[in-house]
Amino acid sequence: MKNNVKIYRVQVDLTQQQLADKVGVTRQTISLIEKGKYNPTLKLCLEICYAVNKSLDEVFWVEKESDH
Amino acid sequence: MKKIRDERLQLQNLKNIRIAYFIQTLGILGILGYDLVTKGIDGMRENPLWMVFIITTVIAAYLSMNISVDHENNNKSPKKSFAVSLGVIVIISSVIGILVSITDGSTAVNGLLIGGIVFICFLVPVIYVYYLRAKRGD
Repeated sequence: MKNNVKIYRVQVDLTQQQLADKVGVTRQTISLIEKGKYNPTLKLCLEICYAVNKSLDEVFWVEKESDH
Repeated sequence: MKKIRDERLQLQNLKNIRIAYFIQTLGILGILGYDLVTKGIDGMRENPLWMVFIITTVIAAYLSMNISVDHENNNKSPKKSFAVSLGVIVIISSVIGILVSITDGSTAVNGLLIGGIVFICFLVPVIYVYYLRAKRGD
């Protein structure tokens, strides 16, 4: 799933490791979330949003893909 | 050793455990199958692994009831389903009891005993499912 974690993480000047420590996961998990290869729980999404001072909407919202 | 707090790794851990149990079950079945071929069904039952296998299967069945109850989407009242199941198990256990008691070499007490055991064995899961359905209705 596409998301804006990387953009906002860089904006608040955090490395993957720092963000990972803040939200209590491993760096690999953050990496996989940024690449869209891991689907985090809502709880972890919220933790990430708190860490980068953005809303859930800004970080994780993606437009629904059109059917055609 | 530090406790794993990463949700992704916890999930991965559960998946790994599942694979390990899958292989373990295959091993148990293999051993029991070997016993069945070499020593016959009674020899197989003497193996304590048989007990382990049966208990595990019963636990798995009870746990999966929890899932089936959520999965089913009929809106019948749990009380009605309970009454129907109760009727069915009363019929089944009475038929078994009567058949046992009219069999040569067994008395009416035997029939009553076996019918009663069958009744209780069916009653427990039926009560459990009723409890789960009633809880889901809340």
